[in-house]
Amino acid sequence: MTVEHDSDDTARIALAGEIDMDNARQVEQQILGAISNQLTAVTVDLGGLDYIDSAGLRVLFTLGNRLSTLQITLRLIVPERSTVRRVIDLSGMAAAIPVYSS
Amino acid sequence: MGGEETAPGDRLRRLEAVTDAGLAQLGVDELLDELLERVRELLGVDTAAVLLLNASAQYLVATAARGIEEEVRQGVRIPLGKGFAGRIAAEKRSVFLERVDHTNVLNPILRDKGIRSLLGVPLLFGGTVLGVLHVGTLTPRRFSADDTSLLQLVADRIALAVHARTTQVERTAAGALQRSLLPAALPDIPGIEFAARYVPGGQGEVGGDWYDVFHLPSGAVCIVVGDVVGRGLPAAIEMARLRHVLRAYTLETTDHADLLGRLDRQVRHFEPEVMATVLCAVVDASGEHMRISAAGHPPPVISAGADLPAAILDLPADLPIGVGTTNRRRTSTVALPPGTAVCLYTDGLVERRRSSLTAGLDRLAEAMSAGPAETVCAEIMKHLVGADPPTDDIALLVLRRRPLPESEGDTLELELPALSSSLKPLRIAMRRWLEHVRADRQATADLLTAVGEACANAVEHAYGPVGGTVSVSLKYRPPDVLVTVADTGRWRAPRGSFRGRGLTLMRALSDEVVIERTDTGTRIQIRRTTTEGGPR
Repeated sequence: MTVEHDSDDTARIALAGEIDMDNARQVEQQILGAISNQLTAVTVDLGGLDYIDSAGLRVLFTLGNRLSTLQITLRLIVPERSTVRRVIDLSGMAAAIPVYSS
Repeated sequence: MGGEETAPGDRLRRLEAVTDAGLAQLGVDELLDELLERVRELLGVDTAAVLLLNASAQYLVATAARGIEEEVRQGVRIPLGKGFAGRIAAEKRSVFLERVDHTNVLNPILRDKGIRSLLGVPLLFGGTVLGVLHVGTLTPRRFSADDTSLLQLVADRIALAVHARTTQVERTAAGALQRSLLPAALPDIPGIEFAARYVPGGQGEVGGDWYDVFHLPSGAVCIVVGDVVGRGLPAAIEMARLRHVLRAYTLETTDHADLLGRLDRQVRHFEPEVMATVLCAVVDASGEHMRISAAGHPPPVISAGADLPAAILDLPADLPIGVGTTNRRRTSTVALPPGTAVCLYTDGLVERRRSSLTAGLDRLAEAMSAGPAETVCAEIMKHLVGADPPTDDIALLVLRRRPLPESEGDTLELELPALSSSLKPLRIAMRRWLEHVRADRQATADLLTAVGEACANAVEHAYGPVGGTVSVSLKYRPPDVLVTVADTGRWRAPRGSFRGRGLTLMRALSDEVVIERTDTGTRIQIRRTTTEGGPR
């Protein structure tokens, strides 16, 4: 996972590798740890992910809820050709968190 | 020394008293007590004591005493070379003190007791000093040459018993250490099989050889084979330390040349007298490559297929652990195509008296094949060891990447612990198999997720805290892949919306899903085509 700050109040978090039931909690903690309450917008890029299961989807849904409460804008980047695109589409993620291709 | 001669009859009586066959029945502690008592009586002395050299050979420890029991109770320690007893041990000869005073005796108990004269002899076994036996009197006394001879005879008897006990204790301890540390069962890794042997050296004596196989946090598998220079308990203890240190460092670094560098620094700082050869190999999570670093260790032998001759890997031979190096250690990468077998071992396997190391390596390469790991292991031991009594201990570890199924109808069968940590190895094995049956990219991704969710369901719901296993079978029936995921637990309704999402996902990604729940377990069958963009 890498974190970039485009400016003082926005962050871009790029996830890589695999998220499954085994490491979902750990990934969740890493993402939450990278988001301070000074931020106004967070982008999570799933382009580098090789695998995500329903436990990983739950991390994203929960993140959406949390950030919505904190009034931090969350958006996901899931390129059309990315491995996890189909799972994200099927999960109905777009109804909860805006999903962009780039 | 001088003193009067002992009468011949007396001499015989004295000899019999200390060589009595009945003494052989006693344990070492009883033997010491009994002999000290007899010595006290025969020589007419007031005190008798045995001090044994401790394991570090730095000081003597009072072990048995008569007439001066406080020596043992207080755990008296005499540095080698210092004082009366220390001098006897250092110089390996008898010392007689006619008049005990502060300058020649270190131990205050001897002075406080009012001992006036002392005679001591070394406990020697095969030229090595094991301790000291001394006697003392409360009145000034001169000991005759016969007295000294008798005392030395008793000392020899004690040395023999002490040595035998030490040897036995050390062998038992070293054997226990080896048994407790060599992995009882090698890890179960989809797509890779292991087999191993450990054989003690001459007269069943274990040494410092070891092998170790364990998972790394990345999902890769670390394989270590090592050999601590030395024999018996000291080598086995050192082996145990190195094994743990190496394991600990694998959590700190992923570069195993660096790993061996750290091990080397650790050993040189804390155990500068230790030398060891170590080979560290890491098979990546996909099982396709193995990275190897060697520290003075003989090279692995690799066999790429049944019809190909085995080859001795040409690795850079970096320095052993514990000798000091400033050069950077090197790592080589070896491809492990399906069916490849690799043999890792310690030098005891290939080194023979009257035969060169090269000849041993050639014999190993000849005996090596790419069959099942257990068979390869047995063949190697048969051809290289046979019925020869081993001179050095031998550790042998064979790993083989399982060959891929050859026909289209072949299946992938896995039995995994129902734990979330099984999901990653499952995906690794499935990716490899799906590649083999030429499933397209989308079918591969969909099957990985669908089967992953089916297994996650078993992990979460099938068993209580005791756990169980989940079996996964994939069959290729062109153009479909048929998957069965079965557990033997009792079905319970999924808890929380998240598992519901998993099952929905599983259905959406497959062409067909059938879930059967019975009292004896849950069976999920999934069908997914391998060739089209997505389920119809």
